[in-house]
Amino acid sequence: MVRPEASKGGSAELITLDAVSKHYPNGTEALRDVDLRIEAGDFCFLVGSSGAGKSTVIRLLIREELPSSGRVWVDGQDVARMRRSQVPRLRRRVGVVFQDFKLLPRKTVGENVGFALLVTGHSNEEAREETERALALVGLSQRRDHFPDQLSGGEQQRTAIARALVNGPRILIADEPTGNLDPVTSWEIIKLLLRVNDLGTTLVIATHNAEIVNALRKRVIHLDHGNVVRDEREGLYAA
Amino acid sequence: MMGRTTYIVAAAWQGFWRNPVMSLASTFTVGLMLLLFAFFLATDRGLQAAVGVLESKVELALFLEDDARVSDVLALRATIETDPAVARVDYVTKAEAMARLEAIAEQRPDIQIVDISSNPLPASLEIKLAHAQDAPRVAADLRQEIGKGVVYEVVDNPSVVDKLLTITRVLSIGGVAVLLMMLVVALFVIVNTIRIAVHARRDEIEIMKLVGATDWFVRWPFILEGMLVGALGAVAALLIVVAAAGPVTNALVGFLEVVPLSFESAFLWQLVASVLALALGVGGGGAMLSVRAHLAK
Repeated sequence: MVRPEASKGGSAELITLDAVSKHYPNGTEALRDVDLRIEAGDFCFLVGSSGAGKSTVIRLLIREELPSSGRVWVDGQDVARMRRSQVPRLRRRVGVVFQDFKLLPRKTVGENVGFALLVTGHSNEEAREETERALALVGLSQRRDHFPDQLSGGEQQRTAIARALVNGPRILIADEPTGNLDPVTSWEIIKLLLRVNDLGTTLVIATHNAEIVNALRKRVIHLDHGNVVRDEREGLYAA
Repeated sequence: MMGRTTYIVAAAWQGFWRNPVMSLASTFTVGLMLLLFAFFLATDRGLQAAVGVLESKVELALFLEDDARVSDVLALRATIETDPAVARVDYVTKAEAMARLEAIAEQRPDIQIVDISSNPLPASLEIKLAHAQDAPRVAADLRQEIGKGVVYEVVDNPSVVDKLLTITRVLSIGGVAVLLMMLVVALFVIVNTIRIAVHARRDEIEIMKLVGATDWFVRWPFILEGMLVGALGAVAALLIVVAAAGPVTNALVGFLEVVPLSFESAFLWQLVASVLALALGVGGGGAMLSVRAHLAK
């Protein structure tokens, strides 16, 4: 198997898209011949209008979808060609956070986070310890026994982030993480994500939030009609 | 390890009780199917025993000419005994035949032997066969001896056994057909029960897959839930079998008279094991079909 030039020299490529196209049976061309390299430790924003292809990129990275052509590499693995049985291992190394949090309403904060460990074969003991650690990181230790409907939107998103991190992924992908939150809470979430990045996790954030993108001056990958039209180191939301 | 097992078992148990009406309805259907299965197993076993008993009684009789020479008769007997289908050949003399008739007459007031001065009964060779189904062929072979000075008639009377064999065959074909239909119904009900269970937990399944749970981890709670439905159905069916076994056996023994329908404990354990195996197979298999369909989406 040919790997992209990973872990050679200084920065290792964690995510590589090689001439990736994706079209759906209904004729939509979601991605056209996209090349993309994201290195370990990066913090980057995916921007672009709705339907530009941001969500498709995310779904390709966690192998919810397969590219129509081209190759997708995540953490040294050819995602499109991996066997179905390999997919769970990939997903444990790639945490995902969504706009709508996707928490289980009948489980407490602690149970929602520990769930990710229990269903990936960890013992109760391990799950308890790792859950404590993840909740401490996102600042929700006091809320462990609350149910999602007793939490604010920001707290729910922090629970989702704790769940995405609890398996110790190398990459955290966030799809519109602040889409349902007010500006103050949005900033809290972004600060948390910056901290997660400081601790070594690579961040990929799809967002429409121009204020945050412009304030942070991080890498910006701009998608338009399935093409990468801009990729800047210290970019702004709009060119 | 512990966390995983507890999670799977707890999820299966919750799944069963989340929709108790549906779960109990499918348990009932599976139980009914298993009851039918147990009934056919027992009936089949009983009929086989009946056939066995009747087979052991089956005889062909060769009636012998009064003036046949004993040496010829003994030679014929020796020839017949070489046929592998023949279990035993008995030589019944005229005197013995008469003695039997007298013995019967003693017990039956409606039969009277009026003239015993001469003996009209022929001597005979009575042939016991190893298997009833060979009777027509052996009889046909022996009919060729008629007219050669020793044998004057061949009597075979396997019609009872023939009928019983036919009944057994019809019953087992019909039984298998009905059973197959019940199996399809039970499978259908279980597939639907589990489909509802899967639907009720679709968010949980989505998140499980997202955080990297394996397909098997997603499947096991549902397979276990299906098996639970099957196992409860099996317990219900077996309780009914145990309760009904005594009276039904007595009725059958009274009806068929000759049939020794006492099931030894070895057969009962076979019955329990078969019913349980079928129950777990149908329950687990149906659940598997259901979850596969969902995961393939």
